[in-house]
Amino acid sequence: MEKKLLHFCLNGEEMEVQVDPSASLMDVIRDDLEMTGTKAGCNTGDCGACTVILDGEAVRSCIMPALHVMDRNVETIEGIGSPDNLHPVQEEFVESSAFQCGYCTPGMIMSAKALLDKNPEPTGEDVREAIAGNLCRCTGYKKIEEAFLSAAKKVNSKSS
Amino acid sequence: MKEFTVVGKSIPRRDALDKVLGTATYTTDVKLPGMLYAKVLRSPHAHAKVIKIDTSKAKALPGVKAVLCHLDIPKNLFCSSAAAYVTTPPVKGVVDQYIFESTARFIGDEIAAVAATSLAIAEKALALIEVEYEVLPAVFDPFEAMKPESPTLHTEPEKKEGFPEYPENNIVGNKIPPVIGMGDLEVGFKEADYIFENTYIVDAVKQAQLETHGAVADINSEGKLTIYSPSQSLHPTKRIVAEALGLPLSQVRVLNPPYSGGGFGGRIGCSAKSEVITAALAQKARRPVKLILSRQEDFIASDTRHETFATLKTGVKKDGTLTARFIKVIMNGGAYASWSQDAPGVLASTAMPVYRCPNSMFEGWTVYTNRTSAGAMRGFGNPQGMFCVESQMDEIAHALNMDPLEFRLKNISRPGDAVPVPFPLVTTGLRDCITQGAEKIGWSRRVEPDRQKSTKLRGMGMGVGSHVSCSHPFHVDYSTCQLILQQDGSILYSTGVPDIGTGTSTTLPQFVAEVLGVDISMVKIVFGDTQSTPFEVGSHASRTCYAAGKAAIAGAEKIKKEILEYAADYLKLPEDDLDIAKGMVYSLSNDNVKVSLGEIALQAHLKTKQFSCIGTVPPTNALPWEAHFAEVEVDTETGQVEIIQLVAAHDVGKAINPAIVEGQIEGALSMGIGFALTEQYQIDENGRQLYDTYHKYMMPTVMDMPPMETIIVEEHEPSGPFGVRGVGEAGLVPTAPAITNAIFNATGVRVNQIPVTPDRLLTALKNQKGISTVREDEEIYAE
Amino acid sequence: MKDRDERRACYLTVRKEATGYCLGENISGIRPVNNMINNYLFPESTLEAVEMLKSLNGEGRIIAGGTDLVLDLRKNKFVVSSLVDITKIDSLKNIELTGDKITIGALVTHAQVASSRLIKDKASVLAKAAGSVGCLQIRNVGTLAGNVVSALPAADAAVALIALEAEAEVVGPGGSNFVRVEDLYERLFTSKVDSNSQLITKISFNALLGKQGSAYVRMTLRKALALPILNAAAVVSVSNGTFDWVKIVVAPTNPIPTICKEVGKMLAGAQVNNQTISEAAEYLSNNAVIVEDIRANKEYRKEMIKVITKRALEEAVAAVS
Repeated sequence: MEKKLLHFCLNGEEMEVQVDPSASLMDVIRDDLEMTGTKAGCNTGDCGACTVILDGEAVRSCIMPALHVMDRNVETIEGIGSPDNLHPVQEEFVESSAFQCGYCTPGMIMSAKALLDKNPEPTGEDVREAIAGNLCRCTGYKKIEEAFLSAAKKVNSKSS
Repeated sequence: MKEFTVVGKSIPRRDALDKVLGTATYTTDVKLPGMLYAKVLRSPHAHAKVIKIDTSKAKALPGVKAVLCHLDIPKNLFCSSAAAYVTTPPVKGVVDQYIFESTARFIGDEIAAVAATSLAIAEKALALIEVEYEVLPAVFDPFEAMKPESPTLHTEPEKKEGFPEYPENNIVGNKIPPVIGMGDLEVGFKEADYIFENTYIVDAVKQAQLETHGAVADINSEGKLTIYSPSQSLHPTKRIVAEALGLPLSQVRVLNPPYSGGGFGGRIGCSAKSEVITAALAQKARRPVKLILSRQEDFIASDTRHETFATLKTGVKKDGTLTARFIKVIMNGGAYASWSQDAPGVLASTAMPVYRCPNSMFEGWTVYTNRTSAGAMRGFGNPQGMFCVESQMDEIAHALNMDPLEFRLKNISRPGDAVPVPFPLVTTGLRDCITQGAEKIGWSRRVEPDRQKSTKLRGMGMGVGSHVSCSHPFHVDYSTCQLILQQDGSILYSTGVPDIGTGTSTTLPQFVAEVLGVDISMVKIVFGDTQSTPFEVGSHASRTCYAAGKAAIAGAEKIKKEILEYAADYLKLPEDDLDIAKGMVYSLSNDNVKVSLGEIALQAHLKTKQFSCIGTVPPTNALPWEAHFAEVEVDTETGQVEIIQLVAAHDVGKAINPAIVEGQIEGALSMGIGFALTEQYQIDENGRQLYDTYHKYMMPTVMDMPPMETIIVEEHEPSGPFGVRGVGEAGLVPTAPAITNAIFNATGVRVNQIPVTPDRLLTALKNQKGISTVREDEEIYAE
Repeated sequence: MKDRDERRACYLTVRKEATGYCLGENISGIRPVNNMINNYLFPESTLEAVEMLKSLNGEGRIIAGGTDLVLDLRKNKFVVSSLVDITKIDSLKNIELTGDKITIGALVTHAQVASSRLIKDKASVLAKAAGSVGCLQIRNVGTLAGNVVSALPAADAAVALIALEAEAEVVGPGGSNFVRVEDLYERLFTSKVDSNSQLITKISFNALLGKQGSAYVRMTLRKALALPILNAAAVVSVSNGTFDWVKIVVAPTNPIPTICKEVGKMLAGAQVNNQTISEAAEYLSNNAVIVEDIRANKEYRKEMIKVITKRALEEAVAAVS
């Protein structure tokens, strides 16, 4: 089985990688590129731990063929923030302990970022819709929702 | 009273940056040079003998480096949960597993395993293993399994050694004969004006934590194993691997890498045998081996909660005083023992101290069946027990025409009351929990709705409960830590606890920082590794804050004393004039005299001394308290239940990190909602699990969560570190009955089985009665 | 004994799997290895896509969002060696209104349909249905056309499209034709569209007019990430308190989702009131093929068909502005 060349933009960087044509985007990110921030929770598109952003939209990477993202823009958690410069969502998570085991956290943050990039003034309903596909077993979701809404306020006050 | 510097503050978690930046490493992320990938061949039959197994074709496949089945492994009995290794003598722990056996006892039971250079090759190899099964009759229902004519699941004499022979078939380990309790039941029931008898069924549910089970085992040329694991109890896991492989303990190291994607009881011990299987494969292949279970395997082949059948017989006076209570419980243990010998006892010990009842007794046991093993899951019998107790309390209150809240306040245990557990009830904030929770939800609004007026009916219900703060003396339970003062003034604090998400790696340093007088950033915690930490039972039984916290305080006090002794000599001041704050040793009488801990450490080092100590205390235990309130709206046309609001009031003794405590309670509430309404565990007639993926298992999403309020009550617990009581599991204890009691208030119909799925509720509504209301089953009840 | 068995029956509720997937022999989670994709192609036009499929001679298959297909391939439902990814064909990405006709390109996603002002105003049943699929991440990728081709008995968008009497343009080696979405089902889980040689390019239907209203109702065990126990799409036309016509699809009540003609007949010209609606609901419930699966048993589903039919009709009537 011959590998195919996948060319795409990953976290703002042009990327070329030889992939197994039947590999999922998640497999390529985690195994081939060894970027393990994106998590594997179920491999059937049911939990959202693998959420990445494709051309601005939050998507499931575990059921997306890797080659599907040819010449497109993908963002993963590794491209969001840095220890000295956290994204407002990450800041809020840190400040209010909106996570516990942390396994769903990268997926949650990607879903939140995709929302805030499109809609800087989300309502509670918008936030819920954005993360309805991200399962969490530890937190009961409450602190996560609150962190997102606070982050939105932060984003707004920064830009205003 | 000195104000706390860091205890009681919601400081940010130290694992925060790793987790929000995606740099946190979990077992599923571990990659080692030369690593092989493993897959397990599982039985498609619920009960079968492996007549023949031929692994030669699999072994011959290029890329396959090891294949193991029952013919290839050391015949050492073990238990894949920590249960057998923390059982307190004279009780014997049940060990009934081999790495692989020639008998399969549930659909998904491990038959063989392969390690290969890629997952694809491992999968191909699995398909090449030839197995001939002789299918045996299977039994799934514990009452059937107890009958002499049912198949006996474990016939090997070595598994039964030291355990009594019972007239019933398939009993796991020891039964709890009717001795837990106090007083005289006969007298108690005679004193009662009314006697209520009810039977209840609690379906099994699954932890369904986000990171599936798995492990990575590495081996060096001397045969020393290093196992990366999401285990909740590292030191016991190490013991299990050593026993299974017949190795000395010192040849095994188990560590979290350092994070674990949730546990909820499913990994107290091994992660569905992954540590043992990868270790055995690594030994054979002499290379690291990684096994990660698929989500489906996680559902099928790792411990569930115990399905529970209970009968409660309660006597009560006209004025609502409880006079007698008898609880009988049969639990469905599945194929292997795991924690099954322990669960009925925990149900009893956590349910019975809640109410003052002078005559009470408990009897219970677990039965083997050909289903996925049942083991530990958050609450460990208590959520099942309190569903029954609180449903019946609600029923009794209704029959006596008393407000369920008043009825409970009348009967809850008070400080100093005799309780049927081997540690005293010294303080209780349950009354405050009840009254504050009631006010928050608006309990005074509670009425029975006009059921003719609308098809959407609202109601309110409540439930209360307790739990434990560790598992002493029911199990071997102790914590030890080590503290070393470093030359930069930081404290190296080694503890064998994991951080499975509960924030232990943040909260425990808070104890050290508070006692020692240093900034939290100066406490460097080393955790989750058996190699660099003294013995620690781990994270279970809601114990880490309480028990490991006590050990942390003991260690910090010890090292503080040692430092101050040295500093007294160094500063030429009396020891009682000195204290430590903000990392400086300072004189209470002279502001100008101070020296940093780092300086003390350096000076001592130059004189060939390092400050180090072990922190440990004899174990104690304490009862936490909680009260949950639920308001629901029932759609009587569909049986669907919408939760309008939830209020959870918890007496946690002292909230060391309030945000973390709230998070624990909120998470437990979401589990409680699933437990009460939507999470189903069913098998088909062949024993195959039906709800075995995230696609089918309806655990709550954010859309299913109602507005929730958490109330923290702090009734100081004298035996706890800074007054702490356990909280991790308490949040899941009274949620389900609060919801089902609310359903009763709304509809007038009681469903005595959870989950109350829409079809069950609709059936109950149509019949205008619950599914099992009054005791009718002689078999459950018979002595 | 009988009593206890009855009680036990509640918890043993033997609910059989409807799809029959993955039992016994696949218990180890073995991914079928004969489905290895060798080739992944990006046509730039519909014509090129058809040509590619032709030259692959049955070994190739169309993929758009892939949210259903990727899982089907892993289960070996289809065995192919090449995927023809049409997501770079821009002409398939539009939603257009021409006169009274709304046309949705094959690559339009559920999310785009759910948030389209045009669809929300003129065919709200479809906006709501598309907005109920799975969760946002799935809706961002899954397409309406894909929903139709998956031939599931209760696929949300497909059910709404059938109620709207939508037509799909199917393009293949023999040319193109327009087929009613309702007629695109061969049988349960199998579409008449042969994705090894054909593809849907667009789907169109008439926008709702003044005295027409629509509703989409969905019954699930939790509020997101859940396949429906039942769903219902209703489009009605009402004048002066009387039904002109009613088109209602309740699924799953049939292996193939269809507009219930009998209910249409019963209600045409009937007064809009509780009695007529209840009778229609009763009829549907009594004449449906009742599925028993892990989401609901037969008795419950039968009862819920009544409830959901009633609610869908009532909501559709209320939506007539």
